[in-house]
Amino acid sequence: MRTCSKMWAVALTVLLSAAAPARALNIFACEPEWASLAKELAPEADIYSATTAYQDPHYVQARPSLIAKLRRADLFVCSGSELEIGWLPALQMRANNSKVRDGQPGAFYAAEQVERLDVLGKVDRSMGDVHGGGNPHVHWSPTRIEQIAKALTQRLIVIEPANAERYQQQLASFLQRWQTQREQWAAQASSLNGVQVVSYHTSYRYLYDWLGIEQVGDLEPKPGLPPTSGHLASLVSLHKQKPYQLIIYASYQDGKAANWLSSKTGTAVLGLPYSVDPNKEQLVDLFGLYQTAIDQLLAAVAADG
Amino acid sequence: MQKSTTVLAAAITAALAVAAAPAAAEEAKSGLNNINVSAILNGGFTSRDEDFTGISGLPIDGDHASGPQDGFWLDHSELALSGAADDMIYGKMTVVLEDHDGDTEVELEEAFIQTMGLPHGLAIRAGRFMSNVGYLNAKHTHTDYYADRPIAYRGLLGRHYYDDGVRLNWVAPTDFYLEFGVEAFKGGQFPAASGDTVGSHVVYSKIGDDISESLSWQGGLAWMKTDVDPDHCSSHDHGHDDEHDEHDEHEEHHDDHDEHEEHEAGPAFCEFDGDKDFYVADFVLKWAPGGNYKYQSVTWQTEWIKVDEDGAVFHEEHDDHEEEEHEEHGEWEAFDADNTGWYTSLVYQWSPHWAAGVRYSEIDADDAYAEEGFDSPKAYDFMLQYNFSHFSLLRFQYTRDESQADGVEDNVFTLQYTTAIGDHGAHMF
Repeated sequence: MRTCSKMWAVALTVLLSAAAPARALNIFACEPEWASLAKELAPEADIYSATTAYQDPHYVQARPSLIAKLRRADLFVCSGSELEIGWLPALQMRANNSKVRDGQPGAFYAAEQVERLDVLGKVDRSMGDVHGGGNPHVHWSPTRIEQIAKALTQRLIVIEPANAERYQQQLASFLQRWQTQREQWAAQASSLNGVQVVSYHTSYRYLYDWLGIEQVGDLEPKPGLPPTSGHLASLVSLHKQKPYQLIIYASYQDGKAANWLSSKTGTAVLGLPYSVDPNKEQLVDLFGLYQTAIDQLLAAVAADG
Repeated sequence: MQKSTTVLAAAITAALAVAAAPAAAEEAKSGLNNINVSAILNGGFTSRDEDFTGISGLPIDGDHASGPQDGFWLDHSELALSGAADDMIYGKMTVVLEDHDGDTEVELEEAFIQTMGLPHGLAIRAGRFMSNVGYLNAKHTHTDYYADRPIAYRGLLGRHYYDDGVRLNWVAPTDFYLEFGVEAFKGGQFPAASGDTVGSHVVYSKIGDDISESLSWQGGLAWMKTDVDPDHCSSHDHGHDDEHDEHDEHEEHHDDHDEHEEHEAGPAFCEFDGDKDFYVADFVLKWAPGGNYKYQSVTWQTEWIKVDEDGAVFHEEHDDHEEEEHEEHGEWEAFDADNTGWYTSLVYQWSPHWAAGVRYSEIDADDAYAEEGFDSPKAYDFMLQYNFSHFSLLRFQYTRDESQADGVEDNVFTLQYTTAIGDHGAHMF
């Protein structure tokens, strides 16, 4: 009986909030980069990030707290393109929230708003854990960030039409700052053009595409499979043909293989931040993330001489 | 004016993007249009000295209670189809291979639909599905860390309880996870065997949260009431059409007083007429440094199951009993029993490839079931598994099995493979 009256109370709250959007919009971000973008576009919203920059977004547990957070969400912002395929569908199934099922305005997949790289016609697991729909790590493409920001703003307006003007203003402000920065970063990073690197997974596919960095080898023998000694040996001999300048891994990846390869080839190793970290001043938002990554890349290449 | 045109243009773009998104997703799934297909290939080889005949004294047959049988086996290989029927209904169907008496049978384990669009955190599931009683019960066995279910499950619930029925559940709009659910089933599957319209009821609650970034937990409480009616019972009942034939066979079998039956101090499953109340408590704690489960994690899980049996038992006339015959073969006597089982398991994964675990499980059987000179069935397990990738693994398991009749103690060695082909499975907590 008490459950019943609680349910009515909840129903009433939902109705009231629809009538008068006084309650802050509840946004569930699968990764911290989308929490950061959502904060730029909807600063008043209640935003929760399901993962941190130090968790592999492929291997997240559909843990109880995430069910609870998705249950209350008005909108989720996730990468899509199968990045969260191991856990987001399970959360959607368990959260009993009709607003965030696929096809509803509350389900927003960032990678599906933009053109993706490496879209494969035919996918087979013997190729590793590949994403047939293309590389999902789209937050490392500044122009795609702009497209996603525009699409997300439109989605916010669909959900809260009364705040349309406010959302448009936020978008305009964000785009203006972002475009200015993007040009500065490109100028600053021009010396990275043509640099050859070996990287762990294709986490920075879009960053390299933008800056003209060439990934000549991958620490993973196949996407999703951890480095093996045989494969690392082949990367040592690769260094003789293509003397790559840097070995790069992301903040959620294990640095052991990269350090081993570095010791064998004398190549510099760099652990790049993968996403926004609200607890670190330098990485507090997307601007800081990009700036830090470019600074670190430049410093590593300069040290290499 | 200019601003409103921009808004309009942007709105159109957004509308197009919304329309285009599902189409793009469909493109990615070439071939089968929007249906998820997954095949789980599960098999292995087991070496044990004694053939499994059942868990000491308990009213459960070998098929429901057994761990891996001696030799090669393919148990719980499965084929599942799932997908959204429309924007309101999701559906799933799973068939599994199971070995019974040396024959491989195909069983329908799941065939259900579930609502996706109900308001206020509600959902309804209908059809054949696995009950949410306990933690392991609603999970497919190939996702377990061991080749078999703990004996607390095998002895009391069967490997898992699934049946035909309906579930209503509600997820609370709280900051931590809180769910309540009720289920009503036909009662056609072990541990129910009912002739009633609704032969089994379940009420459950689940609760969980994060303690820190690295540490998450979930707990559950459930009550299940099942009805057992000898007229609708066959201990080999898996919903076959020829259930009555089997029933008769079994009766004959029973009249023969084969050695398995003679071990039992208490009544066999189908000799009992009454209700069984199951009380289940479960707790799971998972740890991964920084919440990154790829390289390292620890999982501790434990469940406690208590079964109250309340009903009557049909006592057959035995040669050494010189009772008067009230009916043709014997008489009904009131019967009460109280069995409790539990298990606990600790698994450590120290690389993307390797994990090892230990598990202990035991059942404290009621005096009515306990065999003379035998305390309680128990089993100790150790497992070591190697994951080739996210989708295939090889597992070695050693079990010290002290669960069988006559205090038989056995060392069981199992080598098992499990691979998943097709649709990407979810990492359920």
